[in-house]
Amino acid sequence: MTMFHFFNCAILTFGPHAVYYSATPLSEYDTLGTSVKTAVVYLVTALVKLVCLATFLKVSENDVFDPSQELLKALIGFIDVAGLYFALTQLTHRNISQNHKFQAVGLGWAFADSVLHRLAPLWVGARGLEFTWEYVLQGLESNANLMLSLSLAALGSLMWLRKNKPKTLIPIIYACAGIVATMPSIVSYLRWGLGWQLPKVVGFQLFTSFTMALISWQLFSACQKPSS
Amino acid sequence: MMESSSSSSWMYQMMTAVLILIACVELCDASTVVVDVYRLIQYDIAGSPFGSRLASLNHHAASSSLLSSSTDLSRAVLVLPLTELNHHTSFINEYIEQGKPLGGLLLLLPQILRPERSETVGGHDDSFDKENLKKQLVDLEQKLIHATINYPVYFAFEDEDLDKVLADIKRNDAAGQPATATTGGYKLIVSSPAPKKLSSPTITNIQGWLPGSKADGDSNQLPTIAIVASYDTFGAAPALSVGSDSNGSGVVALLEIARLFSILYSNPNTRGRYNILFGLTSGGPYNYNGTQKWLKSFDQRLRESIDYAICLNSLGSGENGLWLHVSKPPENAYVKQIFEGLSNVAEELGVTVGLKHKKINVSNSRVAWEHEQFSRLRVTAATLSGLSAPPDLLESTGGLSDNREFVNEAAVVKSVKVVAESLARHIYGQQGKNINIFADNSSLAVNPSYIRSWLDLMSRTPRVAPFLSKDSPFITALKKELADHVVEVNLQHDVLDGMFTFYDSTVSTLQIYQVASVTFDLLLLLGLGSYLITLFSLLVITTRGLDDLISLFRRPPSRKVKSV
Repeated sequence: MTMFHFFNCAILTFGPHAVYYSATPLSEYDTLGTSVKTAVVYLVTALVKLVCLATFLKVSENDVFDPSQELLKALIGFIDVAGLYFALTQLTHRNISQNHKFQAVGLGWAFADSVLHRLAPLWVGARGLEFTWEYVLQGLESNANLMLSLSLAALGSLMWLRKNKPKTLIPIIYACAGIVATMPSIVSYLRWGLGWQLPKVVGFQLFTSFTMALISWQLFSACQKPSS
Repeated sequence: MMESSSSSSWMYQMMTAVLILIACVELCDASTVVVDVYRLIQYDIAGSPFGSRLASLNHHAASSSLLSSSTDLSRAVLVLPLTELNHHTSFINEYIEQGKPLGGLLLLLPQILRPERSETVGGHDDSFDKENLKKQLVDLEQKLIHATINYPVYFAFEDEDLDKVLADIKRNDAAGQPATATTGGYKLIVSSPAPKKLSSPTITNIQGWLPGSKADGDSNQLPTIAIVASYDTFGAAPALSVGSDSNGSGVVALLEIARLFSILYSNPNTRGRYNILFGLTSGGPYNYNGTQKWLKSFDQRLRESIDYAICLNSLGSGENGLWLHVSKPPENAYVKQIFEGLSNVAEELGVTVGLKHKKINVSNSRVAWEHEQFSRLRVTAATLSGLSAPPDLLESTGGLSDNREFVNEAAVVKSVKVVAESLARHIYGQQGKNINIFADNSSLAVNPSYIRSWLDLMSRTPRVAPFLSKDSPFITALKKELADHVVEVNLQHDVLDGMFTFYDSTVSTLQIYQVASVTFDLLLLLGLGSYLITLFSLLVITTRGLDDLISLFRRPPSRKVKSV
């Protein structure tokens, strides 16, 4: 019964990634290699981030929200953007269109994040006898994260790879990228600074990531038009 | 340089990651409520089983509201506060005496009975009907002890967490969905190995002497007076059987008497012409088996030198006065002398002492009073007790209800005065005279705070003999305390005789989990499945078009490469 619950939560956490891969043309162009490479880049980025956090951050004994520390944390969080930049521009990809490249990168990024952050707690916790909503919420969070990663990758590819984009859209693109990149810090502020409950935070994450995904999609297709 | 510093932080990083993982494991393993529970005693008398025969528990919780309906509870743990037992009078009859199947029973006792609370002297909670509670507990305990129960029975103390859980269980039960595997609810788990027989339980007797002054010749020629109290207990929950009254009060009285006479005997001028023998015996609930062993270990000369023995038993049970139980007819010279000595002093202190004569039946193995073991060996003895009638086997042996809350400290102090004063008048030949040897405010006054502190210690220490090891701290403390006052203190270890067999695992931890049902998980799976299918369809439509989706369902194996 508890194994059953574990499988449910695992499906919710990792299922969307698989569905995304198989439903979109990504599977037809065999972009798995790109996603795997991105996942490796994510791992390295995560390690660098951990080292930075350990070096620069004071260890706080209690869960108090300290603005200066949080600011530092947010800055370190931007290492993610650097990692994504590397994955999008420096990796040698097989000949796939920009359209698919950013999707493959975003997908690999989100999947690596889910595996790294959610698989172990899920394995340990969801099989326990005690029932909590925590792991279901965590699965939803993973969904939000997938959308966020895809939007960030889309915006990144607009910023760094596309040369001839409409001038009027450039500030919007940068603003959106900024918002998406600071989203983890915003969530952390809501969680610890304002003391929101987990369901509320996850709801917020789902809502904002969905909105951001829609906006970036619109931006991407708006930039697509003049080039084609 | 850079290389080395980054490698050291690498190590640090790895360690943090491991620590975080461990923290995760602990956090995720936590259950809703974890409480200490005390198992109903499991024992055999001459091979026939009594008490709770199982220890491990793994069932869903049910509340008492299901008792009235005819729900099958054989796979549920009934959580029953003691206060609710009144409303379910048929419960005891059906489930305990007739052995109707039950998954398990968790009895919630009021906090007032918690042994660790013993320092707070009673009277805090006046609204609480203590006498009623006690009667109810005694009743329940006797029924539990004498029944053979084929499901685990545990005791726990009510607290906030448990109350919350119980309220939840009741709400579920009232909503008409008793907890089962398909509806979720709470699961109660005690993981405990099958109870094992205790191999040859030991009993430990402690004795000490106050030798009298040798007028001429050997001190062994002096007559001896014995003061005896049995210190061990028996009850429904061995880990809660502290026996403040039976027989903690007797032990405390004995220690105080030893302390008083040690002051007198330390001065050669006031040393009496009697030896005083102090005995703390074990095995009291089992027909005073320890007393029997102890007396048999005496040699004939010593046994004959004992003038008489006074056994102290349950001295703190209220203001009903004391009873002197004897097995020789009241006309006997010694009995008369003891009784008159006691009642004279008692009268001065405003206590009544009654005399009860009960012949011993040698063919009957039941020994109701400790003095009967002396009488069987033709040593004059009497038991001074707050109880008026001889208890049955395993009755009034310091069980669940025999708690600090129910012990009257003043009664113990008075009893000590009565015994010590009458003894002193006898030893110093002052019978019938109105002198006060242990007068209040003198250096020989009875010390109430000494009595209180020992009573508190007794009320915190479960003392069921088979579960009390030979070198347990309690026995060491008793020995040391006695050795502070009297000489030649030694321990006698022996094996508890014959027909009793005990089983271990008396204390466990109960974990209460809130669990989801299989139905819930099935629904969740259905929901997730439809979510993923919708997501898949949406993605296919937006990225490849509706036709593609339809064609996907028409010819599943074919994968046409289409440019977007």
